[in-house]
Amino acid sequence: MNLKKYLTLTRAGIIESLQFRLGTLVMIIGNVLYLTVIYFLWDSIYKSSGTDIVNGMTFTDTLIYLVLATALFNFMEMYTVWEIGRNIQSGKIVLDLLKPMEYRSYLFWSYSGSFVTQFFFTFLPTFIIVGLVTHGAIPMGINLLFFVISVIMAIIINYSIDFLVGTICLYTESIWGINIMKQVIVLLLSGATVPIAFFPEPFKTIVNYLPFQSIYNAPLTILLNGNPEMQDVLTILGTQLIWCVVMTVLSKLFWKASLRQITVNGG
Amino acid sequence: MKSKGFRFYFRIYCKILAQDLKSKMSYRADFIISTIGMIFTNIAGFVSFWILFRNFPSINGWTYYEMLFLYGFSLISLTPVQCFFDNNWSLRIYVYSGDFIKYCFRPINLFFYYQSEVFDIKGLGQLAFGIGTLIYAWVKIGLAFTPLMILKMIVFLLTASLIMISMQNAAAATCFWIQNSFYVLDLVFRFKDYAKYPITIFNRLFRFVFTFVMPIAFIAYYPSLVILRPDEIPILSWISPLVGCLFFFLSYKFWMYGAMKYSGTGS
Repeated sequence: MNLKKYLTLTRAGIIESLQFRLGTLVMIIGNVLYLTVIYFLWDSIYKSSGTDIVNGMTFTDTLIYLVLATALFNFMEMYTVWEIGRNIQSGKIVLDLLKPMEYRSYLFWSYSGSFVTQFFFTFLPTFIIVGLVTHGAIPMGINLLFFVISVIMAIIINYSIDFLVGTICLYTESIWGINIMKQVIVLLLSGATVPIAFFPEPFKTIVNYLPFQSIYNAPLTILLNGNPEMQDVLTILGTQLIWCVVMTVLSKLFWKASLRQITVNGG
Repeated sequence: MKSKGFRFYFRIYCKILAQDLKSKMSYRADFIISTIGMIFTNIAGFVSFWILFRNFPSINGWTYYEMLFLYGFSLISLTPVQCFFDNNWSLRIYVYSGDFIKYCFRPINLFFYYQSEVFDIKGLGQLAFGIGTLIYAWVKIGLAFTPLMILKMIVFLLTASLIMISMQNAAAATCFWIQNSFYVLDLVFRFKDYAKYPITIFNRLFRFVFTFVMPIAFIAYYPSLVILRPDEIPILSWISPLVGCLFFFLSYKFWMYGAMKYSGTGS
C-alpha cells in the first residue's frame, strides 16, 4: 500500500480547514455556550438530588463525560452523509469514482486533515480546560493509552455508520431527512446527550448491544476509570473491535452492492 | 413603493404557498423521509428529557411536569420559525451565487417575498408534538382551563415565537457581510435546545446574558411563567410580548439594511 497518496490528502485537508477561521471562532463560541448550559443544568440537577453520586457518577464525572463527548463529537463529525449526498445530487461523485483510490478511503483520507486540526484546536484545549476546571479530576495513567486506542476505533465505527447511511442516499436522494435521523439516533444512543449510566434498565441493556455506545460511551468510560481492571478494559475494547470489523465490512458490502444502482444526472 | 394592504399580501402568500407545496410533492420520497426525520428528532428530544428527569423528582424547585410544560411551550413557539422562515437557511447561497437579485425586482416587500417562498411542512409535526406535550403537562399540573387562560397562552406563544424568528433573521442576514453565515445560523439554531430550561438554574451573569444579550429566556421561560406561576410573575414576563415585537422589528430592519446594501455579483 502506498501511504504517500493518503498522506497527501491529509495535508490538503489540513490546509483547507485552516482557511475557515471565522467558522472555527463561531464554533468555539457555540461550544462554550453549550458547555455553560450543560454545567449549570447538571449542577442544579445534582444540587436538587441531595446526593453526591447518582447512578455511580459524581457531578465531576458527569461533567467530564459530557464535555468530552461534545469535544469528541466535534472532532469526529465529518459530515460524510452530507458530502456523499451532495456529490450524488451534483453528479460530482462520477469524478470521485474515477479516482485511482477506493471511494470509501478517498473520502476518509480527505477528511483526515481536519482530524489533525480539530484535535489541536478543539479537542486538546477542551481536554486541558476540563482538567484544570475540575482540578485534575481526569485520571492520568495507563487509561490514557487505552483511551487513544478506543478513540481510534470509535472514529472507524463512526465513519462506517456515516458511510453506510450516506450510501442510502443513493436510493432516496433525500439528504436532510436521512442525516437528521442518523444524527439523533447516534447522539442519543451513544450516550452523548445523557450518559448511558442514567438510562433506565431494559433500555440500557438494549443500548449496550448496539454499535452506537462504542462511539462515545466506550472511550469515555475508559478515560474516567483511573485504575481499571484489565478485564473490563479488554471487554470494552474487544466489543469495539468487533463493531469495527462488522461495520466496516457491512458498509463496504452495501456500497459495492449499491454502486450498480447509481444514476447520475449530468455532472 | 406604495404600501399594500394585508389582504393583498395574504392572497399572494396563499398563491406562493400552493406553488411551493406542489413542487415539494414532486419529491415525495424526500418529503416523507424528512417528515419522519423531524418526528425522530422530536421523539429523541423527548426521550432524553424523560431519561434525565425520571432520575430526579424536581430540579431547582421545578417539578417534572412543569419542566415538561416548558418543553412543550418551547416546541410550539419554535414552530413558526421552522414553518415560515426556513428560507433563511438558503439566504447565504442565494447571496453568494447572485440569485438573490431576482427578489429585488418585485413590486412587493422584499422580506415578505423572500420568506414566503418556502413553507416547511415538517414544522407541523413538531407543532403536534408540542401541543400534545403541553396538554399532557397542563392536565397533570391541574391548571385551570378557562378561555382567558387560552387567550393568554396564544398571545404569549405568538410573541415568544417572534424572538426565535428575530434571532434567526439577524443570523441569516449576517451573510450580507460575511458571506458564509452557516456557522452563525447553526449557533443560533442550537439556542432553541436551551430554551426549555428554567433560567433560574443559571448564575447571575448567565441569567443576564440569556435575557438581554441572547434572549433565549423569552422563548419559553418568561412567557410561560404567566400561565405556570400566576402568583409571582416578574415584570419581564409581562413585557415579553413587547420584547418579541421589538426584536422582530429590529431584525427586520437589519435584514432589509443588509439586502439594500446588496449589490449583486455582476452576473
